Amino acid sequence: MAANNIIHETTIYAEPVFHIGSFQITNSLLNSWLAVLVIIVFCVVLRLRLKQIPGKIQHIFEILLEGALSLCDQVTNDRKITLKICPIVLSLFIFILINNWFGLLPFVGSIGYLESIAGRSVFVPIFRAGTADINTTLALSIAIVIASNIFGIITIGVWKIFNKYVNIKVLADSVTKFRADKNVIIVAPISFFVGILELIGEMAKVASLSFRLFGNVFAGEVLLASMGAIFLYLLPAPFLFLEVFIGLIQALIFSLLAAVYFTIAAQDHQEHEEKH
Amino acid sequence: MNGFIETFHIDWRLMIAQLFNFGIVFLAFYLLAAKPLRKLMKERGEEIETGLQNAKAGMEMIQKAKEEYEENTIKLRKQSIDTQKELKKELEKLRDENIERIKKDEEEYVKKRVVQFEIEKKALIESAKVEIVSLATLAAEKIMDKKNQ
Repeated sequence: MAANNIIHETTIYAEPVFHIGSFQITNSLLNSWLAVLVIIVFCVVLRLRLKQIPGKIQHIFEILLEGALSLCDQVTNDRKITLKICPIVLSLFIFILINNWFGLLPFVGSIGYLESIAGRSVFVPIFRAGTADINTTLALSIAIVIASNIFGIITIGVWKIFNKYVNIKVLADSVTKFRADKNVIIVAPISFFVGILELIGEMAKVASLSFRLFGNVFAGEVLLASMGAIFLYLLPAPFLFLEVFIGLIQALIFSLLAAVYFTIAAQDHQEHEEKH
Repeated sequence: MNGFIETFHIDWRLMIAQLFNFGIVFLAFYLLAAKPLRKLMKERGEEIETGLQNAKAGMEMIQKAKEEYEENTIKLRKQSIDTQKELKKELEKLRDENIERIKKDEEEYVKKRVVQFEIEKKALIESAKVEIVSLATLAAEKIMDKKNQ
């Protein structure tokens, strides 16, 4: 009877499990630490087993690395850029993938404790998928957008990246080129406005990246919880497979979009426009 | 904005913690997996390339040696044929010379024999003549003796 009063609610936010001072350690952060630990162990094992003649694990990893490089090449069309961004993109992929899949492990969402909130017992799971927390996806998205702009600054220069958002150059050109071409007085403000739109676009990138990943993983958790609530045995199994696939796809989308943003940031659009 | 932050429980310290996690993953992956593996693959690729180049050079050397061997074989065969021809010519010449010499010797022998035969014939005739004369003399003597008796 008492078990029926326990509230099993899949919250949109990660619940704090314990505190270190004023810092809340959430269940998604715990799961993320677990994922990091597994990745580190895997990397150390791989490093220790690296041989000139590869073993099975090394062989699989070499195939994956070559595949990732060729996939990045398709995005960048430049091997040099690929070699620069691939470690970030690939580690991003692995981090998101492991976090997505760790949300599907049997103990995640099922092991927890009861907390009394407003006189009602609420079940708080100890683990929750790292990417089912907006803090994770938002942090990654912001980091990727900032990193892509830094990469752009390193590749094509501060002035060009600055003019991409605040197009002072086109306004200055409108003064100098006005006698030769009267249309520049109309084109220049539009170009300046496009720059502002680019700035808004960067914010949209953050929003789209973070909410896409968070939404998909969280929706998967809700779906699995709903199916489990309807009938606990067998019914969630097909959805579990679906979530494995979605986890992979979402990690791939996030990392590929990151590669696209890095590539776009490294391209000189003004030079490209002047050529045409 | 506050509603959004409260709804999703956005906490900048959690965001930094998650970024720190990603940073660790990036470092671990880059330093322990991607970089050494890429280096290893590059070295192996270079070794394979060097091996292939060596194999190609070896094949070229073998091909060259084969060509040289074939060239030398043809040359030697030609030389052998020429030598054979020369030897044949020499032999024919020697044979002709021998035949010529034998013929000459034969002719000389025949000539010598003819001369000797002539001499022997003359000597025989002479001796026959002497014989005949002596016989005639003897007969005459006998006849004379008979007449005298």
